[in-house]
Amino acid sequence: MTREVRLDRLVGREVYTANHRRLGRLEECRAERRGTGWVITEYVIGAAGLMERLGLGVRLIVGLERAAGYVARWDQLDLSNPDRPTLKCAIEDLQRR
Amino acid sequence: MRKLFNLALGIVTSIGGFVEVGSISTSVQAGAEFRFSLLWAVAAATMFLAALAEMAGRVAAVSKRSMAAAVRERFGFHFQIVPLGAEFIIDTLLLTAELGGAAIAVKMLTGIGFQWWVLPLGLVAWLVLWFGNFTVIEDGVGLLGIVTLSFVVAAWQLHPDVAPIVRGFVPSIPHHDLTRYAFLAVSIVGATVSPYLLNFYASGAIEEKWTAEDLWINRLTAWCGMGFGSAVAMGCLVTAAIVFGPQHLKVDTYEQAAQMFVPVYGRWAVALFALSLGIGCFGAAVEIALNAGYVLGQAFGWTWGIDKKRRDVSRFVAAFSVVLLLGVGIATIGFDPLRVTLISVALTVVIMPLVVLPFLVLMNEEEYVGTHTSGPLGNGLLATLTVLGALMAIVVIPLEIFGG
Amino acid sequence: MDVVRDVLDKSVIDRNGREMGRVDGILVELRPNQPVHLTAVLIGPAALGDRLHPAVGRLVRLIERSFGVDQDRPARIAFAGIDAIDTKIRLRMTITETAVAAVEQRLRSWVLRLPGSR
Repeated sequence: MTREVRLDRLVGREVYTANHRRLGRLEECRAERRGTGWVITEYVIGAAGLMERLGLGVRLIVGLERAAGYVARWDQLDLSNPDRPTLKCAIEDLQRR
Repeated sequence: MRKLFNLALGIVTSIGGFVEVGSISTSVQAGAEFRFSLLWAVAAATMFLAALAEMAGRVAAVSKRSMAAAVRERFGFHFQIVPLGAEFIIDTLLLTAELGGAAIAVKMLTGIGFQWWVLPLGLVAWLVLWFGNFTVIEDGVGLLGIVTLSFVVAAWQLHPDVAPIVRGFVPSIPHHDLTRYAFLAVSIVGATVSPYLLNFYASGAIEEKWTAEDLWINRLTAWCGMGFGSAVAMGCLVTAAIVFGPQHLKVDTYEQAAQMFVPVYGRWAVALFALSLGIGCFGAAVEIALNAGYVLGQAFGWTWGIDKKRRDVSRFVAAFSVVLLLGVGIATIGFDPLRVTLISVALTVVIMPLVVLPFLVLMNEEEYVGTHTSGPLGNGLLATLTVLGALMAIVVIPLEIFGG
Repeated sequence: MDVVRDVLDKSVIDRNGREMGRVDGILVELRPNQPVHLTAVLIGPAALGDRLHPAVGRLVRLIERSFGVDQDRPARIAFAGIDAIDTKIRLRMTITETAVAAVEQRLRSWVLRLPGSR
């Protein structure tokens, strides 16, 4: 069953792990061309996205050159309830940023 | 050769446009109550403004985006709505104060109550924006503003002792009324570093089609323009210090302030003060209204530009018209412009951190400044300014209550 | 491409370089067991209002309806209609093929009535 939702409402939502713990906020979606369209291949979650948004300047001041957080592949995130994105895998299976 | 001429013009017009209701009010009061000891605040505030203006100009020249556009694109609408909303309120209040200041100036020249002049002045401001273009407005405001050099001339003619003036550039603890001193110092910063000036400066850079090759012009215009402009504010402070200082006078009205020209200009004192106040405030009012159009157009993605055919930029026209109408409406009610000024200055300081923080990010991003990123020195300065801004934001309201 | 950083809130221009506004919203399609598909960008104050709060979006739509400019707004432009994503988003179509300029055109009729409108 396909559903159309607003991406900008999805972004900023808290992402939960499979056992209902908070992981971080959905900050960014990475997309790639597939054929004539675009699909989202990765989701950037948590401090990673926020720090990326704040930029190098602030990170240097705060003392963090490499930002923390996670990157989830499209198949690792369950968006069947867009208000509550949930991980389909263990945290250890996520890429770290 | 042409660029040099434009540069000189740019610097001269910055002098004319520098002094307006906020800087006059704070400089007069600072001079009258604390003599020369707040000169350092004027100097520091000017450097703060020049540094930020140069950065805003850099972003505009390299990425062709004003501050409002850059903040929307880099931080998103959710972040922007807060400083945008706050700036809109502050700018409307400041516009009200400028129209009020200009109206009081006309009252000083004609004797007719200032509320009667708000609507005609607002109408003239609208006509300037309706029929004018960027060059006419910028250069017109700036050249007419040369009359404000009367503050510098007055200070010079009063032959002040140099030593106390030089000491005034070093921050010191006053002998009396520390809260009032701190309040005036913070107010001077708020009056000088108006957020509208930064976006207006950047929009001007885009209207004048600056590119990365004009960055040296940007640097000179920002620093020399603001620098020379601050000389007028300092002239105002010094004159007030010499004329009012000895009597420890608290200046509460512009009519009182005008008396500081009497020793130098005699029977021309009130007329000259009124002209300086009036032209300074009127010019600022035009720029604030125009900037409202710029900010809304840039944030929401409308076509904008004072050099375009008015029928092609209807939303932009509607924006500056509505803001002028709001300013006229509130000013006509008759609030004391001095009080409205101090409120808008205090609010400016409160949102200062939100205004400075984006610079810290943008100055390090290639997309906005190309290869001209801030080095460690620039970042260090911005970080300091952000922290200072945050400190001032915390103390300004208590200071306003206890020292204002 | 990073959707939030590179598309959302960016300036949109039409085929001829005319300013059309900014990307105020993005629509995506959720398909079971497939990656999320980018469907369209939204341009218009109602879409922007939605981002602040659904009530704000409804208020904007109400205002647009009362001024008669709510037809086909917020403008919905399929991702297939995007030619290039750079510092600005360039579309394959012209502005007149969308309802983006409705408010501008309505105000234009008022502006034209003022003397000396050039």
